Amino acid sequence: MDVYASGPLLELNKAIPSFDESGLPPVPFSMKLMPGECMVVEARDIGHSTMFADLCSGLVPLDGGAVRFMGLDWADLGDRELNALRGRIGRVTHRASWPEFVPIHLAIVLQQLHHTTRQIDDLVQDAANLAERFGLPGLPTESPSFLPEDDLLRASCVRAFLGQPHLLLLEDPVEGGPAELSNSFLAAITEARDRGAGVIWLVRNNAVWQEYRQGITATWRLADDGLVAVRMG
Amino acid sequence: MSEENSQSTQSSAPPTDTTRDPVLAGQAEGGRVFAPIQWAFGKVGWIGRLTRRQARFLLIMLGASWGVIFESFRAHSWRRTVRYEFISTMNSIIRGGLVATMFAGVLTGVAAVSQVIYWLGLTGLATMTGSILINIVVREIAPILVGVLLLGRNGMLSTTELGLLSIGGEIRSMQAVGIDPFLLLVLPRTLAFTVAGFTLGILFSFASLVTGYVMSRMSGVINNPVWVFLDDVATAMSGTDYIIIPLKFITVGFVVGLGGCLTGLTATNEDSLRTLLPRGFSRGMLIVMVVSVLFSLDL
Repeated sequence: MDVYASGPLLELNKAIPSFDESGLPPVPFSMKLMPGECMVVEARDIGHSTMFADLCSGLVPLDGGAVRFMGLDWADLGDRELNALRGRIGRVTHRASWPEFVPIHLAIVLQQLHHTTRQIDDLVQDAANLAERFGLPGLPTESPSFLPEDDLLRASCVRAFLGQPHLLLLEDPVEGGPAELSNSFLAAITEARDRGAGVIWLVRNNAVWQEYRQGITATWRLADDGLVAVRMG
Repeated sequence: MSEENSQSTQSSAPPTDTTRDPVLAGQAEGGRVFAPIQWAFGKVGWIGRLTRRQARFLLIMLGASWGVIFESFRAHSWRRTVRYEFISTMNSIIRGGLVATMFAGVLTGVAAVSQVIYWLGLTGLATMTGSILINIVVREIAPILVGVLLLGRNGMLSTTELGLLSIGGEIRSMQAVGIDPFLLLVLPRTLAFTVAGFTLGILFSFASLVTGYVMSRMSGVINNPVWVFLDDVATAMSGTDYIIIPLKFITVGFVVGLGGCLTGLTATNEDSLRTLLPRGFSRGMLIVMVVSVLFSLDL
């Protein structure tokens, strides 16, 4: 992964999300995420977490302001550029994301197969290594409906971290997930940050990230009046 | 007694409100005076909404048709994920539909071709056999039956799969990581249907003609060898037929595939399989018939 070092990796500059399209409060959102930083965003509502991640990915239309990723305003880009840029984002989402007719192993490497020209053997090897790190016995090959919920969470992590993405939008897989996932998840975050990736970790309660407290750069709360900075006392 | 009181209170409440509120009173008065005009506006609005709703899918189809053709000529569109989807869908349609198509062709041969040959033989018009077979079986019946088979076997499957992905949110999740569902799903599937439509259409025609010949030979109506029969058929084809017939198979496959994918992709949260499948089937049938009729018009 070539490290992006020419300013904020992600910047929300008084971005007002369309309420009709997202359900997010139509107030200005402002924040900056530098390469290598990890930001926690607390949101009680899972739907709001997902929509905030969509906002960062340029999927939510804006009534004002701008959202920039790697210095590029999502609103200025054509479809091809948008999709290419989104290919550099790794996501763990609470929204349904496993197509039933695609086997899990293919769904895991799908983003990389689509956006890169890396050899499929290399991708599968990387995915298998990540799968073992996240506690899976190997790369699962079943249909998503045959996989237990915990293993689907692990597979979500594998998919998000595969291909060394520049930005990680992680809707918390730790809370409610298997206990042993926490360590490997935090280790993967640290490793990603070390190579210059930015991380936004969306959590429902602040107990989840306390274990990683020293590594958190900033904490925000997603409230009715927008993004509110939380003091890390 | 108390019910009567409450009824009288309810019935008397609106006039009291409107007389107290000048805006409501004005609206109520206006509503009484201009009721026929409002009724007419309402009806015109209803016709407009109906027209827009019906035209919407047609416009989406036209736009998406151009999109598929345009994107299919761009090298960047043919990523390995798109190639994989194209090949797997094409294999699924052709391999899965081969037996059903050949069987339908044989049945058509038995029912239609042998009858045509028999009656033409009786009326002394046996020399027109090839021409009539081409015009009826290959040009008219084959595209419709192949279209229906494609729709039933694979078109509805695409509608269901893409519809469930749209309703469930998986399509949005794909978009979030830069995977364009049009490029990944609609483009390769539509082109796979196109190739399959041509392949199965030709196989269907061949099966029906050969079966018709066998049936007629067995019943003693014709005594020519099979290659003479096929030569008659080929001779009866005009130059235009060599373009129109394959074009019809290709177009039927294209529109069935595209229609199925778009019906699924345009599903909303209010949709379910109960609404999606009938809509997909009726649209598919309509599309097949429209294409068939358009190609049959002698413009």
